[in-house]
Amino acid sequence: MFKLVRRGIAANLGRLLLTLASVFIGVAFVSGSFVLADSLRAVFSQVSEDIFAGIDAQVQAVEPELSSGFDLPRFDGALTEDIRALDEVEYAEGGLFAFEQTYTLDDEGEVNRPLGPPVFTSSWGGPSPVSAFTLLGGEAPAGQEIAIDQLQADTAGFEIGDTLTVALPTGQPEEFTLSALIDFGEGGAGGSYFNLFDLATTQRILELEGQVDSIVVAAAPGTDTDTLLTALDAVIPEGLEARSAEDVIADQEEEFGTVIDLIGNVLLGFAIVVLFVSIFIIYNTFAILVGQRTRQLGLLRSIGASAAQVRTMMLIEAAIIGLVAAVAGLFGGIGVAWLLKQLFSTAGGAFPDGPLEIQPRTIYVVVVVGLLVTLASALIPAFRASRVSPLEAVRDGGRKERSMLFRVVSGSAVILPGLILLGFGLFADIDGTAERLAAIGVGGGLSFLGVSMLSALFAEPLGEVLGYPIEKVKGVTGRLARENASRHPQRTATTATALMIGLALISGVAVLTASLLRTFDQLLEEAIVADLFVFEENQGLPFPAVVVDELEKLPEVDAVAGFATIEARVDGEVSDVAAYETATGIEVVNVGVSQGSIDVGTGGIAVLSDRAEELGLVLGQSVEVEFEDGFVTELTVEAIYQEDGFIGAPFVVDRALSSEHVASDDVGFVGITLAEGFDITAARTAVEAAVADVAQVVVQDNSEFRAEAEEQISQLQVIVIGLLVLCLVVAFFGIVNTMALSILERIREIGLLRAVGMTRSQLRASVRWEAVIVAVFGSLLGIIMGVLLGWATVTAVPDITGLAIPWTQLVIYLVVGAILGVIAAYFPAARAARLNVLDAIAHE
Amino acid sequence: MPTTSPTISATMAARAVDAIKVYGSGDTEVHALRGVNVGFERGRFTAIMGPSGSGKSTLMHCMAGLDRLTGGEAYIGDVAISTLNDKELTRLRREKVGFIFQAYNLVPTLNARENITLPLDLGGGDIDDAWVDEVIDAVGLSDRVTHRPNELSGGQQQRVAVARALATRPDMVFGDEPTGNLDSRTSSEILTFMRSAVDELGQSIVMVTHDPISASYADRVLFLDDGKIVHELFAPTTDSVLDAIRDLGH
Repeated sequence: MFKLVRRGIAANLGRLLLTLASVFIGVAFVSGSFVLADSLRAVFSQVSEDIFAGIDAQVQAVEPELSSGFDLPRFDGALTEDIRALDEVEYAEGGLFAFEQTYTLDDEGEVNRPLGPPVFTSSWGGPSPVSAFTLLGGEAPAGQEIAIDQLQADTAGFEIGDTLTVALPTGQPEEFTLSALIDFGEGGAGGSYFNLFDLATTQRILELEGQVDSIVVAAAPGTDTDTLLTALDAVIPEGLEARSAEDVIADQEEEFGTVIDLIGNVLLGFAIVVLFVSIFIIYNTFAILVGQRTRQLGLLRSIGASAAQVRTMMLIEAAIIGLVAAVAGLFGGIGVAWLLKQLFSTAGGAFPDGPLEIQPRTIYVVVVVGLLVTLASALIPAFRASRVSPLEAVRDGGRKERSMLFRVVSGSAVILPGLILLGFGLFADIDGTAERLAAIGVGGGLSFLGVSMLSALFAEPLGEVLGYPIEKVKGVTGRLARENASRHPQRTATTATALMIGLALISGVAVLTASLLRTFDQLLEEAIVADLFVFEENQGLPFPAVVVDELEKLPEVDAVAGFATIEARVDGEVSDVAAYETATGIEVVNVGVSQGSIDVGTGGIAVLSDRAEELGLVLGQSVEVEFEDGFVTELTVEAIYQEDGFIGAPFVVDRALSSEHVASDDVGFVGITLAEGFDITAARTAVEAAVADVAQVVVQDNSEFRAEAEEQISQLQVIVIGLLVLCLVVAFFGIVNTMALSILERIREIGLLRAVGMTRSQLRASVRWEAVIVAVFGSLLGIIMGVLLGWATVTAVPDITGLAIPWTQLVIYLVVGAILGVIAAYFPAARAARLNVLDAIAHE
Repeated sequence: MPTTSPTISATMAARAVDAIKVYGSGDTEVHALRGVNVGFERGRFTAIMGPSGSGKSTLMHCMAGLDRLTGGEAYIGDVAISTLNDKELTRLRREKVGFIFQAYNLVPTLNARENITLPLDLGGGDIDDAWVDEVIDAVGLSDRVTHRPNELSGGQQQRVAVARALATRPDMVFGDEPTGNLDSRTSSEILTFMRSAVDELGQSIVMVTHDPISASYADRVLFLDDGKIVHELFAPTTDSVLDAIRDLGH
């Protein structure tokens, strides 16, 4: 029997290779996601260890429950002296670290920053046993000196000794001399930029005189960590804690781990989709192969092979393919991981260098997945093979197509639970993203499977309709293409399914992004009164509120408001709270006030109507609010509003109140209305000049603001679609494979056609158009499914209010599908055209 | 009816001059045709007989433009086949030649009428519907034209094949054991029809066959052995064909 398996594989090598390719892509992606995630995890824990080399303990504030900024809470740096005085301490150093606060400027006064990763500001006293930074060249900065990382220096073209202009949170840029180039840990900067100053300078430019956010400690010789921690606990005040370096490293690894897991899981999600698509391809290949071998299988049965033996034979064949594909995929995955790393790097999010990690877990999972997927796909064909009767060896029986009723019943049996599960996942009130995603994933999978089964029903009529214009134009060639495409409805449907799934997801994403944009448009139209916006150009990061003060001084400006989002405890619940100048804010943003006045003042609060209902709050009632510094106050509900789309929080307080009680006085954006009687262009120039010193911000009007948002949403769409294109690649292999196999079945017919006068190019055209019909069939179904999916998602997500269907894009996808068909048909068509007429006629 | 070999001339429907066909090379060389000279007159029905491996199918394939000769020349009308490229050869098959194979003559996805007009459709020119109808009528398929091949009996399928071969009014129709798969009653139906196509429509037909009864429908029977014409009969009967086969030692 093994001999038969071997011969079977050898005889069908070409088509099995194509099948293998589709398993390979999916498996390689699974393997790639594991390898990438493992490698990143390894590299980041190496970075953490480098950074904490020489450190035994760290003193930091206990993580506060309420935190509005990105930075750690600061505390009095005098504590450093108390710690140094301890006998158990060899060395202690206080440090101050800040996220996105200072930027070096280029010749044009624009900020230097990487595209993805952040820019950090940190204090640095030079090389020390506890320093996280490694000196690459020059001297540690002192006074008006700065040290930066090598990447930033290379990118901006800075050299040691240069005078750098640095934008500061004070709003007053200063000049610093570049004294040193540094590295974070060893090669651990990961694409981030670092601006380092001595501690006193750091405190001054961050306006945090005398403060630090951490003290790193090295134990005196002979002192163990526990003793050190006990000694530290004795001197540090309440609200701070001392932790061992091991604990801090473990925490950091966990934090990195969450991000890495997210990346890994997203990739894994795409891998599962690709694998799901390839199941259809593998199934189709085996089904066709069994059909073609009916005679041979019948012969085997008639000379005494049992049904089980035939079945086992088919499954062993599948297992071998699966295994080969899995092993190839495992190695392919290493390539995929490497590629993705490069891709992330070019996108600006450089990962620290490190070797690719291949864990035993990756190997097991990949091999098992490759095998299971292939075996599962081959199961039905294998059972069908075992049902071939000995009689079919002598009878020249064509493949029996399933009955209509069977298809309707079985298709419905799959699609209905699929749709229910999908609907449940989208609309039901489920806690936990994993459960929701599982419901959507399984439901979506079943729905696709069901549509694939049911689509065999319309493969014939739809094939006829799609083929009609081709026949009109191309005559009998088109007629043959159309007939061939609807010849085996199940086969056409399965082949088209792969394309359908790919395009359904892509179109779904297109509908979703178009709807997001439409929603954004509506929001702009309804919520925005402002003429101009000021915001951080790159990622919409918070920036110093000093901008608001500068703008208020301008005569061209009528009203200005700076919008911050802080965390506070309102009526006992931690919540986001929007904070802005409520008196002027009304002229900048329309939140749809239904009761009261949004000008709440420092003693009032505005509440979103939904939230007010939940909490049972009415106008005039007072509510307890606690800020992050521990300040508790009773605020009166002065307004109820309807629209939180733009400010993004269910409460509004006045920034005059909030800025007293939060560590970071940064705002997310500033809105401006211009005074009457000024030329718009001149007014804008004045505004731009006023904010020039906070170099990271830009000034934009509504349409620019919208264009910016559109670009960001489109970028996301491009990335998602880029990953989904893999589905199309698998679908492409599927079409090639099915076409090649179908042609093999029709060799004699092709010989006849050639004999009675079909030219090679007519034959090629006929094959090509057949593939186009199959491809367009799949694309059309996919686009319809995608629009429905997108619509369901838009309906399910309450924040997306404007359904938009990007018709032009969808038409382009349809054309792309058709072109895919043309390309996929190329090799099968060329092969068919090359056939020798006599051989083809004599073909058995 | 002539009783001697016609002199080979350019006005004939098809002819072969010093036709040589060699398969393989060196030790595995097989000489399928060893210098065959033969002409087929217009309006005649010729049968080619011979044992397996005698070269009869090769001769027909080469004369019909399905295969190429190693030496010599084959002509359809006055067109020398070896001078044609693939495209011209395809066109020749479409326009000047008709084929009837033993089995699988029809495209399963097309109905009877579409199968019959297939060569015309492939040519893309206007179709002479009157002629097509006449041919369909002649083969007795008028009430079956919209049926697909799998809805037709073996005999009916073969009649469609004959009709297709005639639809283009070719210079020559080649039959490769056209009744080899049929029972004797259906065979005689088909052969009678081929006979009448020659007599009434003036068609020229060459047919390879094993069967002396089939051969008896022809005007002339050529016997091939070992790549050469070894005998010929005119106005054959089943008995005279059997006698000739016996005399040739097979």
